[in-house]
Amino acid sequence: MKTYDIYHTSCYLDADMQKKPYIAFHGITKTFPGVKALDDISFDISAGEVHAIVGENGAGKSTLINVVAGNYHPDSGHLEINGDQVRIRNYAEALDMGISVVYQERSLVPNLSVAENIFADRQPRTLLGFINKKKMCEETEKICESIKLEVQPNTLVGSLIPAKQQMVEIAKALSNESELLILDEPTATITEKETEVLFRVIKELKRRGICVIYISHRLLEILEIADRVTVLKDGKYVGTHNISDVKIGDIVKMMVGRDLYTEKYKPSYEKDIVLKVKGLSSKRFFNINFFLKKGEILGFAGLAGSGRTEVARGIIGADSINNGEIYLFNKLVDIKNPEVAIGYGIGYLPEDRKEQGLFLNMAVSNNIVSGSLQIVSKRHIIKEKEITIIANKLKERLNIVCPNVMTRVEQLSGGNQQKVVFAKWLLVDPKILIVDEPTRGVDVGTKSEIYKIIRELSSSGTSIIIISSDLPEILSICDRIYVMHNKRITGELTRNEATEEKIMHYASGIN
Amino acid sequence: MGKFFILNNLQVKSTVKKLLQNRVLFLLLLIFIIFLFAGIAYDTFVTENNIKTVISNMSIDAIVTIGMMILLISGVFDLSVGSVLGFSAAINAVLIERAGFNPVLSIIIAVVSCICIGIFNGVVIAKIGVNHLIVGLAMLGVVRGVVMLIVGAGITRLPDSFLVIADSSFLKWKLPIWYLVIIAAIFSILLRKTVFFRRYYYIGGNEKAAALSGINVVTMRVISYAISAGLAGISGIFLSSRLAAAIPTLGSGLELRAITACILGGASLNGGYGNVLGAVLGTLFMGLINNLMIVSRASISWQRIVISGILLLAVTLDAVIKKSGVD
Amino acid sequence: MDSNTNVNTSITRRILQSRSAFLGIIIVALSIAASFIFDAFSTMLNLKSFLLNLSCNSIVAIGMMILLISGAFDLSVGSVFGLAGCIAGNLMFYHQANWILSVFIALIVCIGIGALNGTLISKVGVDPLVATLAMMGLVRGFALIIGGTGIIGLPDGFLKIADSKLLHMRIPIWYMIVIIIIFTFLVSKVVFFRKYYYIGVNEKAANLTGINVVKMRIISFMIASGLAAVAGIILTSRLTVALSSSGEGLELRVITACILGGASLSGGKGSVMGAVMGTIFVALINNLMIIAKVGSYWQSVVIGSILLIAVTADAVLNKSRAE
Repeated sequence: MKTYDIYHTSCYLDADMQKKPYIAFHGITKTFPGVKALDDISFDISAGEVHAIVGENGAGKSTLINVVAGNYHPDSGHLEINGDQVRIRNYAEALDMGISVVYQERSLVPNLSVAENIFADRQPRTLLGFINKKKMCEETEKICESIKLEVQPNTLVGSLIPAKQQMVEIAKALSNESELLILDEPTATITEKETEVLFRVIKELKRRGICVIYISHRLLEILEIADRVTVLKDGKYVGTHNISDVKIGDIVKMMVGRDLYTEKYKPSYEKDIVLKVKGLSSKRFFNINFFLKKGEILGFAGLAGSGRTEVARGIIGADSINNGEIYLFNKLVDIKNPEVAIGYGIGYLPEDRKEQGLFLNMAVSNNIVSGSLQIVSKRHIIKEKEITIIANKLKERLNIVCPNVMTRVEQLSGGNQQKVVFAKWLLVDPKILIVDEPTRGVDVGTKSEIYKIIRELSSSGTSIIIISSDLPEILSICDRIYVMHNKRITGELTRNEATEEKIMHYASGIN
Repeated sequence: MGKFFILNNLQVKSTVKKLLQNRVLFLLLLIFIIFLFAGIAYDTFVTENNIKTVISNMSIDAIVTIGMMILLISGVFDLSVGSVLGFSAAINAVLIERAGFNPVLSIIIAVVSCICIGIFNGVVIAKIGVNHLIVGLAMLGVVRGVVMLIVGAGITRLPDSFLVIADSSFLKWKLPIWYLVIIAAIFSILLRKTVFFRRYYYIGGNEKAAALSGINVVTMRVISYAISAGLAGISGIFLSSRLAAAIPTLGSGLELRAITACILGGASLNGGYGNVLGAVLGTLFMGLINNLMIVSRASISWQRIVISGILLLAVTLDAVIKKSGVD
Repeated sequence: MDSNTNVNTSITRRILQSRSAFLGIIIVALSIAASFIFDAFSTMLNLKSFLLNLSCNSIVAIGMMILLISGAFDLSVGSVFGLAGCIAGNLMFYHQANWILSVFIALIVCIGIGALNGTLISKVGVDPLVATLAMMGLVRGFALIIGGTGIIGLPDGFLKIADSKLLHMRIPIWYMIVIIIIFTFLVSKVVFFRKYYYIGVNEKAANLTGINVVKMRIISFMIASGLAAVAGIILTSRLTVALSSSGEGLELRVITACILGGASLSGGKGSVMGAVMGTIFVALINNLMIIAKVGSYWQSVVIGSILLIAVTADAVLNKSRAE
């Protein structure tokens, strides 16, 4: 087995190699029942290039990665690697060809060591055919050192913090002697320091002639690290440009087809403070102090992993807190669990609606009434007809697209699923609603509908906290913005003061 | 002085935690304690004869437990192993006693048919996707029924050439113990040192990730069920040889004992944890407790209570530690 | 509640999708066929003994179904079933206690065991399989100690629990009917029980929606143990002897009946009627085999095979639907 050592090689790229495409897509089309995920995609990527692929959710980025990785087979079109047409039947074949993917979801096995994860199913062997543990650890140390990852090869991956786990994932991909490395949202859960290291590693890979496909929503990062960027929209290829030729606004325009989303701002908040949080701390966040006014739309900005979801979960009692006080309408309250929180009038719409917000197997109507069963019942006895009536009312009001309210929620599109979750909370009618990533995985059309819902709620007196990683979104609808970085609140901005740069400033922990 | 005391407390807590997490060490400690107390309280306990009997008895169970451990490592289990054990004994006895087959041939046929049952289980569970608890439950009943049909009230006149398997001794230890040693050694090496068997840890830890690494989960699962059934089949042969009979209830309740022994030995029902040594020690521990109860003339009911109580305690402690770690 | 029904499908489709209706048809068909083939089947004697045997199992199955709906299960119900009779019998015989008091204490203890199960599983986080497996052994052990080899000589008042008749049918059948009616209503119509379906489909979402999952799980285990205890008392009264081996293997039989009746081990599916139909179906098969003088060994083979075929068919159909 060849050793992989990126700092001690003398194999660098020459100018000729850089111009020839390493991987080329020719007319790739992939259809799933009901949706054309990829429609005649054709472009190419050169060796030694960092190529960013951007697009909204549903644009086709994941599908394209899966085609390259061999998990999906294109219905028509083909791939070429180094000029030769190839058919990749599964990920094992992709690995053999030198293609590695670092996915967003953890592909690590928590009960095994770092070394065993990096060399999963490819452990170095002794002459007898048994696993050579010593060699495995040595190689692991080398790889980790090359990306400045400080772990003992024998540490169980499950005991590492998410940021370190992500670096192990990258080390795993690097150990594969890849010629093509695909990174899917690699910086979503790592800190800025590790992002710097990652970028240094990527630059080294470039010099070695390795092709890097970089998928991310963070356009600022892409401007920093990528050479070229390809934009996908609704499964179609929009265009490829050199990074030096474009600005963020241009990229967004290509992704969305129109200018940055701007909403007409209409303030509707009052003076009374409905929620006050003092010195809230737990294992996952420190000394959180903020307040929320009645009818206000309060934003919580920050990068992934900054602790915003954890604060929300702490407030509603889904996770335990160590210290601090929560005041509701100037009364000190003790929120032990979400049931109590809802009793006090605080609702939480989770980040991951599939895992935590929806009952996928159940009908739309059953989802909508799940939080307000007492409304559709008389003296504890459920009236099924009431459920259908109320569900239909909300279906109309929110314009939820589905054959009827008996349809199973899992069959709806992402945007409509999110509307179902909103419908549920509209029915509960809390005084304070915390919404975590309201438009994640939601198509553009539905986005504006959701913003409308949020504004309607706030003008009718509901106070709203929006947690979002989408800066334009936060800037356009929030009255005030708190920014979190590394589990603490680092800044507070009013609507007038806030700009993307200032928010990024606080979110990156720059003081 | 106060600070020093607090430090000690924390150190104690973390050592206890580490001890509990390394299940093998923990079991060894428990076994040592048992010997200590039992040896003092009952002089019939620490005699050579008694210990040899205990080990001889548990060695047959332990072979099945090893098979169960492999399944648990990969995140599943098989509730039908007890019935399969009985099945193997039944087929073997019928072929020898009623059809006059050569013992070697009948043993081969019996074990191979058990392996086939294992393959069937594996395919239904891994390829078709039926829940493993239900398949195990259903097969438990079906196979046990077949055993009873084959064997009726029991087959007892097994020839000496067959009894030799379990009855003879080597170096003063009965053969079954040696079978266990060999099987345990083989599977311990396989699970620790071969890429192939290491895969079960990957599958148990994160099945999706294992598949992404190129591991064929379906094939691996089918093989693990085949191994488990095969080991149960082999144990059935040994057991009926030792008892010199094939009775219809042979192996009843074995699956739950095996799962208990594995969990005591460090397996987790979610998969990814456990090893052969833990399986063997877990079985030994249960055998010793059993023996202790017999020696102290405690009724059978107390035996059951003690073993179940220990299992409950062990998993509760595990869960409490896990929770305190997370929060 | 059947979350699979779509208003626009045909009647046949809907019957196939409703497991209880499907089983009901099979049961009726089998019964009709049996009454022609076996003379012994359609006698009052057979029917009565059939219903009697059914009564205890169905009560336990209802409790297990509630657990399965919420995504859990309890392997200790069989042992609790036996323990109830032993505690009551012990108190009545060895301590001359009043039979009402004895039954009451037995029920309280068993419900307490359910509470313990529920707490360990949902509050402490122990795996349900292991927790209830261990509890099964523990409880059976205590039943053996308390009940010894069997307790006879139970007071008349206690024996009257199962011995009387009402409208020519033995009382246990009426207990069963009443419990079935009550729980069918509760589980399908009452807000509290509806929440179990939500917990079964997505526990995390249920928690965030304000359903107190821990409290509800504990209650569900208490209900299951409570119903098992009630059934155990009824059986003890019927047999006029408290046996410590009562209920061995009951949990597996009951889980089988519930799965056949439409429950899924992952939760969110099932109904009380399904549990009852499943129990009737299993009991019917057993009854048929007894009448046909088929050896009792064949019974477990047949039931096991039916279970296997049913769930395999389910899995295959689900796979083809997903692809």
